[in-house]
Amino acid sequence: MVAFTIDQIRDLMDKVTNVRNMSVIAHVDHGKSTLTDSLVQKAGIISAAKAGDARFMDTRKDEQERGITIKSTAISLYASMTEDDCKEIKQKTEGESFLINLIDSPGHVDFSSEVTAALRVTDGALVVVDTVEGVCVQTETVLRQSLTERIKPVVIINKVDRALLELQVSKEDLYQSFSRTVESVNVIISTYADKEMGDMQVYPDKGTVAFGSGLHGWAFTVRQFALRYSKKFGVDRAKMMERLWGDSYFNPKTKKWTNKDKDADGKPLERAFNMFVLDPIFRLFAAIMNFKKDEIPTLLEKLEINLKGDEKELEGKALLKVVMRKFLPAADALLEMIVIHLPSPVTAQAYRAESLYEGPADDANCQAIKNCDPKADLMLYVSKMVPTSDKGRFYAFGRVFAGTVKSGQKVRIQGPNYQPGKKDDLFLKSIQRTVLMMGRNVEQIDDCPAGNIIGLVGIDQFLLKSGTITTSETAHNMKVMKFSVSPVVQVAVEVKNANDLPKLVEGLKRLSKSDPCVLTSMNESGEHIVAGSGELHLEICLNDLQNDHAGVPLKISPPVVSYRETVEGESRMVALSKSPNKHNRIYVKAQPIDEEVSLAIENGTVNPRDDFKARARILADEFGWDVTDARKIWCFGPDGNGPNLVVDQTKAVQYLNEIKDSVVAAFQWATKEGPIFGENLRSVRVNILDVTLHTDAIHRGGGQIIPTMRRVTYASMLLAEPAIQEPIFLVEIQCPENAIGGIYSVLNRKRGQVISEEQRPGTPLFTVKAYLPVNESFGFTGELRQATGGQAFPQLIMDHWQVMGGDPTDPTSKPGAIVKEKRERQGMKSEVPGYEEYYDKL
Amino acid sequence: MSDGEQVTSAPALSTYQDECTFSYAQIPEGVRNKQYLGLDSKASSEDTVQAIRHYYDLDELVTILAEQDEETKERRYKKVTLQFPDELLGDSACIVQELQRELGLIVESSTRTENSELCSGQCSCGSDNNTCHVKKDESEGQKIWILADTSYSACCVDEVAAEHVKSDLVIHFGDACLNTIESLPVVYVFGRPIFDVEAIRERFVSEYPEKEAKILLMADATNTRYLKGLYERLLLDYPNIAYADLVLDPKADARIIGYNPQTVVKPINLMLNRNLVGIDFECDEEEEQEAREQAIDSKLCEYSLFHITQPHAPRLLQLITKFETVKVYNHVEDEMFEGPFPNLRVRYRALHMARAAGTVGLLVNTLSLANTKNLLNLMAKKIKKAGKKLYTFVVGKPNIAKLANFEAIDVWCVLGCDHQGIILDQDREYYKPIVTPFELSLVLGDEFSWTGKWVTDYQRVISLFENGQDEEPDQQEAMTSETYEDIEEPTFNPVTGQFAESRPLRRLQYLQISGATENDSSSTAVVKKLSSEVAIKGSVSTSAVTLQNRSWTGLGSDFNEDLEEGSIAEQGRGGIARGYDYDKDIHAI
Repeated sequence: MVAFTIDQIRDLMDKVTNVRNMSVIAHVDHGKSTLTDSLVQKAGIISAAKAGDARFMDTRKDEQERGITIKSTAISLYASMTEDDCKEIKQKTEGESFLINLIDSPGHVDFSSEVTAALRVTDGALVVVDTVEGVCVQTETVLRQSLTERIKPVVIINKVDRALLELQVSKEDLYQSFSRTVESVNVIISTYADKEMGDMQVYPDKGTVAFGSGLHGWAFTVRQFALRYSKKFGVDRAKMMERLWGDSYFNPKTKKWTNKDKDADGKPLERAFNMFVLDPIFRLFAAIMNFKKDEIPTLLEKLEINLKGDEKELEGKALLKVVMRKFLPAADALLEMIVIHLPSPVTAQAYRAESLYEGPADDANCQAIKNCDPKADLMLYVSKMVPTSDKGRFYAFGRVFAGTVKSGQKVRIQGPNYQPGKKDDLFLKSIQRTVLMMGRNVEQIDDCPAGNIIGLVGIDQFLLKSGTITTSETAHNMKVMKFSVSPVVQVAVEVKNANDLPKLVEGLKRLSKSDPCVLTSMNESGEHIVAGSGELHLEICLNDLQNDHAGVPLKISPPVVSYRETVEGESRMVALSKSPNKHNRIYVKAQPIDEEVSLAIENGTVNPRDDFKARARILADEFGWDVTDARKIWCFGPDGNGPNLVVDQTKAVQYLNEIKDSVVAAFQWATKEGPIFGENLRSVRVNILDVTLHTDAIHRGGGQIIPTMRRVTYASMLLAEPAIQEPIFLVEIQCPENAIGGIYSVLNRKRGQVISEEQRPGTPLFTVKAYLPVNESFGFTGELRQATGGQAFPQLIMDHWQVMGGDPTDPTSKPGAIVKEKRERQGMKSEVPGYEEYYDKL
Repeated sequence: MSDGEQVTSAPALSTYQDECTFSYAQIPEGVRNKQYLGLDSKASSEDTVQAIRHYYDLDELVTILAEQDEETKERRYKKVTLQFPDELLGDSACIVQELQRELGLIVESSTRTENSELCSGQCSCGSDNNTCHVKKDESEGQKIWILADTSYSACCVDEVAAEHVKSDLVIHFGDACLNTIESLPVVYVFGRPIFDVEAIRERFVSEYPEKEAKILLMADATNTRYLKGLYERLLLDYPNIAYADLVLDPKADARIIGYNPQTVVKPINLMLNRNLVGIDFECDEEEEQEAREQAIDSKLCEYSLFHITQPHAPRLLQLITKFETVKVYNHVEDEMFEGPFPNLRVRYRALHMARAAGTVGLLVNTLSLANTKNLLNLMAKKIKKAGKKLYTFVVGKPNIAKLANFEAIDVWCVLGCDHQGIILDQDREYYKPIVTPFELSLVLGDEFSWTGKWVTDYQRVISLFENGQDEEPDQQEAMTSETYEDIEEPTFNPVTGQFAESRPLRRLQYLQISGATENDSSSTAVVKKLSSEVAIKGSVSTSAVTLQNRSWTGLGSDFNEDLEEGSIAEQGRGGIARGYDYDKDIHAI
């Protein structure tokens, strides 16, 4: 039974004010998919009995088997609210029916890129936090991601049943635990929230925090209880909500509210939240779980819960589930929170437009996005590709930000490298069909107006991972998503049977499409490389590649780490290289870039596409750069956007601008394949101090300059204390106290560095945080499980790049050994060349 | 940071051009000593002349040159060109002197002494380009030229340079690839290098303890004359040994001085420009070509190769793909070559780059190889059909700087001799990848697979290209408007993991500019801009697109009002060189 029809949904799409696009985000195992089931069940797609264990949104076989979400899945739900509820909505709405486009996202850190892709197309986020575990590393990551995307969060504290049943906490302890969790969420929010968005913090007394149990299918907000009690006390509901949270007490004797925890006689008072909200729940739990058969009916009657015939026969946990579900249905609490507090596309796009669009803010397309105008030119962002049943084909999954997308419509497909006025990465194609993504299924619809989430058929072969779809010839791209994870773990794949090579290549292409984060490439020695964000991510990708995308048996090398080449000091003398014809000379010095600047470049704060003056302002104001230098940044590299810079510090050099293109091309090449062992460069700034050029243009062409600039970049680097950087994971482990010893011994063995260890208040759990080199992380999970008797399960997330101590040119040092090994594997001479190789004497 | 004192030199406005900017390449010491002649640096000029006469078998050469035409009783060869590789150029003058003396071509005594001094090794040679030195006497009707600085690769006979003097005989000195020369008679002079058979035999025994092993002996053309002797000595211990003897194409008019190769027993044993003596391929000449090739390949795979002297990289790569193992031994230095060997997987990477390339540069690095022209035309046709843009280049000797000048080119395809003329770029010094015609033939098809073969024989490459052509009619039929959608799909480049636009010409078709516009005479414009596409004479110009993408668009384009303060313009000099305006004032006085 489906409680709504596609036509109903299609009608609602036009009333954009009644649409809510939201993603469910959380740390792994905090119960996103299970909670989502409650909502899906409410919409009638799965039966109530199965809700809680069906995991409807886990569409893949391996997701069901492993019990984790790997891909984000979208579904559209229909909700109708009461007139009363609708009055609470502080944004424009029409009628009482709402369309909720919900995306369930994976919680495992390795799949953060899926979360990013989900966040891009939504405006609100339901953050799920485990009562017992509290705010974990991935909670923080996804919250940060959603805030930088200008996504408004609401919170549900999940697994309250665990606190009650397993930990047997008291009411006050539970309240404290709730309030601590809310506080830590708010700390993160206030750190990362954008001023443009206003107050993004969550408050239980305003109804933006819910409490519940996804597994049992119940949840509540303070608002729901306030609703019950406001009639009883005859108080305004808003006032009641305030009284039901925080330091607010009710004196049953005087029937008065107070904010002191003691009455006039000095006797302790019970907190209002505990008394009015937690008490009935605790009483129900106690009665049912202790099999107090006589108490139960009275309680049920008091709480106005009616059980049906056979349900009365149940007892214990089963009864508890049924009762709680009737008492506080999860879907009601969640839907209410979503509809009332999350922004509609109209509200959200007004403040998101500028951060979504690459072009100027006064541009017609940006205005159309801002107004969520369905009649303007189409602006649609494809955030990911979803595989279809047709092998090798994909739905382009995205969000219409302006205009209306129709089947058969002719559109411009702009890939990430497209620039207005140029033809790179641009295709003119028509959309074959538009479909609504419904979990495992799709439903065809004719068109889709601005503000909605949609799947497109027939344009997948023109986009690799993401892109902008538009009908306007002048439209700039929508901003490219920045992922919080980077693919630092890689393996080489080879076919077992040489005839399968073409299939492998096709498979790699499909794999690249199907995952927003995975990178496929080929190293200099001609091996196919697949790079992922972690061991689990790679394992899933390779599985897909072998069984699905390529469908041929593969040989897979052990995982290796990708390194970066950098410098630690300034070149000890000016590096000089002469062109092959000896008529042109380039004088440069290399120096390191501050880590903050590199990070700013990597996360897009400092962006090669920005106006150079604005960029220079940021560099000067925030990072202490010299303004002249900052304005004379010639290029970023590699790929035109990496964290390495060429800065022009020359004075009055004739023809200098003429060689700029050649210098830029050479720098891209040099930064892609560094001098030490052919890895990318990171945090290297090359200052061009002087250039002498031949007076005839033909003698200073690309052929003379490109090889020379590359050589001089290498020479300057080798003169500037070259070093290699390795990626470092942040490890978070939650475990009982007795497992800590084991954790420490494993970390010590693996060059790990503990940064904090604290007990989570109110629980016997300890949280250990440490830095662990990615290189040492292979097999870490297994060893940890072994050392702790399976009690510790780590979360590893790429945190930063760290210089490896030791000279990479000395093969006896640790980095030197790594360098030597890779050079030999790639068929290069085993020793790093000296700067003399690239340096020319005057 | 930018304190100018640290800059060692800062000529700001243009390159300071004095002698230090230009320095001539010097011949390194080792070359002057002429170790290959078995002389030390103290040898007198007479010794040197004797050694050279012996080394190059000049007596036999003289008999050939002295041959007379039976009818006219004149010398058969009137215009003789001597082609030298750079390392033997030092001997050229001396050789010419000797030949002229022997053939009775008059030489003045003063030049003779001067030249013999030159031969003893004090001159700097090789500085000149390939203009021909005429050492002549008109009356005898025979002239001798020296061809230096060979245009493409020194191992090939430089037909083009020979053509400049309408030469009727080329005498090629030094190592040679022995590829068939179509138009000219050739005499190869390899020289008699020092070769210690016993020492090499010992080395061989220590390298191959397994007596039953199947081993093929090979050497460069110069040293092959000794292989038979080595082979016969080793045969006693190693029954499964074989060796590669020189072979000349009977169709060509070519001779070798000072050495007679074995006669060819079975044509099937001919490969790699060698006659493999001692291998029985056990297959029928009548069999299908494919089956035969397979039999040969699998047989060769059983053999290890012992190569005396270091082959050039393309040749080495070719050998590596053929044999089970390859050991390279330098008998002069008594060293085994440790690598790095050229890697075929690196070629695989280049293949993918070529597949994703939109613009191909065809680099002609030979003119003498048979079939070059056919192949060039065929490739041009095929590349266009695959939707890629094509430019053809002849740059003389290719180097990094020359090739990097052509920014629009995504991949180079080099047509060159398989001994030296193919650029392998093992150190990844070239800006853009370089492939061979065979490799290009693999990637131009719709599907491509890679078997690890490496074919350099143009005849076979041509047949590969032509095989692909059979499917042509079917494809043309299928080119309805619907398939354009598929055709226009970007190519996934597994090297970068990104999409690449590999078919710029197809885009043109999509934009509905067909051949018709090519003949469109109503418009006189050569360059047309269509949407964001540039077309010149009805064809997409990828280099024009590259130029458009450059930030430098000419003088003044870099002027930035905010950053630079302009200076006040002053009235400059006026008039023309014959009389500037201020000259008038001077004359007026």
